Amino acid sequence: MSGLQLACYLAVVFFVVVVAAKMIRIARMPIHIRWDLYPIPHEKGRNSYGGSYFEEIDWWTKPTQVSKISELKEMAKEIVFIQSVFHHNKPLWVFSFPFHFGMYCLVGFTVMVILGAILSAAGVEIAAGSTGALAVAVHYLTVILGAAGFILGALGGIGLLFSRMSGDLRKASVRSDYANLVFLLAVFVSAIVTWSTVDPDFALLRGLVQSLITIQPAGPIPTALAVQVWLMVALLFYFPFTHMSHMFGKYFTYHKIRWEDHPNIRGGKIEKQVEEALGYKITWGAPHIKSGGSWAEACTDWTEDDKNE
Amino acid sequence: MSKKETSFKDFCKQEGQLVEIDPSRFPPLPPPYDKLELEPKFRKLSEENQKKLECDLDGISAFKFPRPQTDEEKRELVEKFLNGLRKLYDREDNWTFLQPLFLSMEYCAKCQTCAAACPIYRESGNMDIYRPTFRSDILRRLYKKYIKPGGKFFARISGNDIEASWTMIARLMELAYRCTICRRCAQTCPIGVDNGLLTRELRKIFSQEMGIAVEPLHAKGSVNQLKVGSSTGMSRTPYLDNVEFLEDEVEERTGMKFRWPMDKAGADVLLIHNAGEYLAWPENPEAFAIILEAAGINYTLSSELCAYDGVNYGVWYDDVQFAKVALQHATVAKKLGVKKIVIGECGHAHKALTVIADRVFAGDFNIPRESSMTLLRDIVVNGRIKLDASRNDDITTTLHDPCNLVRLMGVVKPQRDVLRAVSNHFREMEPHGVYNYCCGGGSGFAITQDLNFPDFRHNISSRAKLRQILDVFQDIIGPEHKKYVCAPCSNCKGAIRDMLAAYGVFERCNILYGGLVELVVNAMVDIEKPFLEWEWH
Repeated sequence: MSGLQLACYLAVVFFVVVVAAKMIRIARMPIHIRWDLYPIPHEKGRNSYGGSYFEEIDWWTKPTQVSKISELKEMAKEIVFIQSVFHHNKPLWVFSFPFHFGMYCLVGFTVMVILGAILSAAGVEIAAGSTGALAVAVHYLTVILGAAGFILGALGGIGLLFSRMSGDLRKASVRSDYANLVFLLAVFVSAIVTWSTVDPDFALLRGLVQSLITIQPAGPIPTALAVQVWLMVALLFYFPFTHMSHMFGKYFTYHKIRWEDHPNIRGGKIEKQVEEALGYKITWGAPHIKSGGSWAEACTDWTEDDKNE
Repeated sequence: MSKKETSFKDFCKQEGQLVEIDPSRFPPLPPPYDKLELEPKFRKLSEENQKKLECDLDGISAFKFPRPQTDEEKRELVEKFLNGLRKLYDREDNWTFLQPLFLSMEYCAKCQTCAAACPIYRESGNMDIYRPTFRSDILRRLYKKYIKPGGKFFARISGNDIEASWTMIARLMELAYRCTICRRCAQTCPIGVDNGLLTRELRKIFSQEMGIAVEPLHAKGSVNQLKVGSSTGMSRTPYLDNVEFLEDEVEERTGMKFRWPMDKAGADVLLIHNAGEYLAWPENPEAFAIILEAAGINYTLSSELCAYDGVNYGVWYDDVQFAKVALQHATVAKKLGVKKIVIGECGHAHKALTVIADRVFAGDFNIPRESSMTLLRDIVVNGRIKLDASRNDDITTTLHDPCNLVRLMGVVKPQRDVLRAVSNHFREMEPHGVYNYCCGGGSGFAITQDLNFPDFRHNISSRAKLRQILDVFQDIIGPEHKKYVCAPCSNCKGAIRDMLAAYGVFERCNILYGGLVELVVNAMVDIEKPFLEWEWH
């Protein structure tokens, strides 16, 4: 097994473990105070203007009207088209959209490369002239998604880098913000170089992935591809520690905060979580807080001492 | 304001006042306020106060915090601040907001999409320090360096390095009160990062750990409310006297003689007003009483501690104070055995009791709460009172959307249904509903009247709202037309009142402000005399 292969295994495992650990850590945080932000797309019949079930008289006596389809539509618009940037920051969207769309293409590309490697290991030839429709589809999708992904990513990345060098973005940026973009650009550009010079149908990359899947030694690979893969390995080690991994956090910021509007019903799950949280120990140091006991004590004991009618 | 950029380094190290606010850089207002000389002046703090109080951010002091005299005092304050920052990341001390805090601190891509959405940043002429991410970035850098493992090493490599000094913390303290927490910025963030939330978390460090808070919110606000019953300082007996006086006034104005239900056990509804209404805008609780009496609603007011004042200032700066007041509201409702609590025209009281307290109440305390907007709509739409909208025909109305009611709670349509039923000349501001602009008085700004803080409010934080009001009435801007800004929120009314007064808008343009119920009573056919008094108050 080559050093590159070993690094690939380690990078993938590291990436998955670190991202999963972070997601689990966030998911296991205690219940928090409601912090809804409207419009909430699943509010059936009201989402178009930002209304909520609080508009209903005696709302707690009526069935909750939820539209999952509206929520999915909103998610699709946000994920695919990055609509909030489109609506509120068009100059940035011009670069942000191709950059992110390029990333999505690359997710598809990764799936195609892995699928192609599996098929190839099973003896199916992946090429334009293959006999099977699946093999041909995998071939073309790999080439299209790969080329589109790397080119769009690179163009968008260059645009984002230049945007960050001027105006408000420059004022808000630090070394690491530029470094992140340069790093991603290096991956995209190296991939474009490899694709355009030595690996036009990504067969060499597929071969490397096949060797990883089948745990076989990899054959010799051109320097350009080696550079590209080493950069990808480094990116996988670095990525989870940066804000570039915001796609994972975005699930929580939207579904667990902005759009989280489940009411606390008596005897329900939320009430139990609230009761547990009120039992947590409080240690804040300001004089108006009775520290050392539970939250419940700190929030109710005041009545005896402080009342001064 | 100098045109020079303000860097994080300047923020941390530069001695003296960091930036100067320059009104000539504010975006111009619509006519007749398109002349700089018509704008209210920005007052500088007296030399004595400048020497005595921390005001090195922008020359404004919200905290009136005395400058520490010795290096030891400064070191102690910095240490306390860092302790508080540490506690924000503790799952027990900050269970209330740990997850939202963590996410907003972790994932900001610094794309600055939020900046254009922030009325304070824009209306200040894009002053760097008011950018929504500016204070968040400082907090983030402090967290990364002083709290995260290996922070000092990584801070240097990433270019995030920052030195926690009292100069910087004192500026950060004031900067926490240059954001109204309207959360327009969060609404536009593609990632869901919430700089408004981070502002509030910052305020919590000062209040919950350091015991430093803006006086009208804490000492004169929530502490007063928990001690005497109301943040206005009004205790039970004066409250009851006030209600008696208002009963007489209602009889005088309308001929309707009835007692306002007080502490009535077993009523369907416990109605809680912002107590400021009784003192500053008594016509508002009067109008509520008239409508509910005419509609035959089985309700009660309460004279118990806190329960005649729906405010809950903790919602802006302190989770513990928030929970204390919310639990007291629920305790009284439980004792009275009411079926639900209805909140009067007060935006933050709405959000506090319905949305935020929803994760504080358990068991018997978890009594249903709802907005008075929905109850009013039910009364109006179902014809439970007789209305004639033409009685308001001499007035053109517009609606101010309190952020807490719309963007943060989703109550958008009921107040419009009511307003359309009583006003034939209603027009919307742009933008409106959940995309509204804050009145400029949010998060405690409206009640912070000390020193030169109101100048910041009139000139900057309320400026977007003034622009909207002038724009919506631009074709009838002359004083010959009566125009009414309906603001169903006490704090918003306070901010709008002060802003209209500072610019002389009533005299120059005949634009008055007020609540929703006053217009409803003005349209009631059973009441002979007009209820709405067209005079400045």
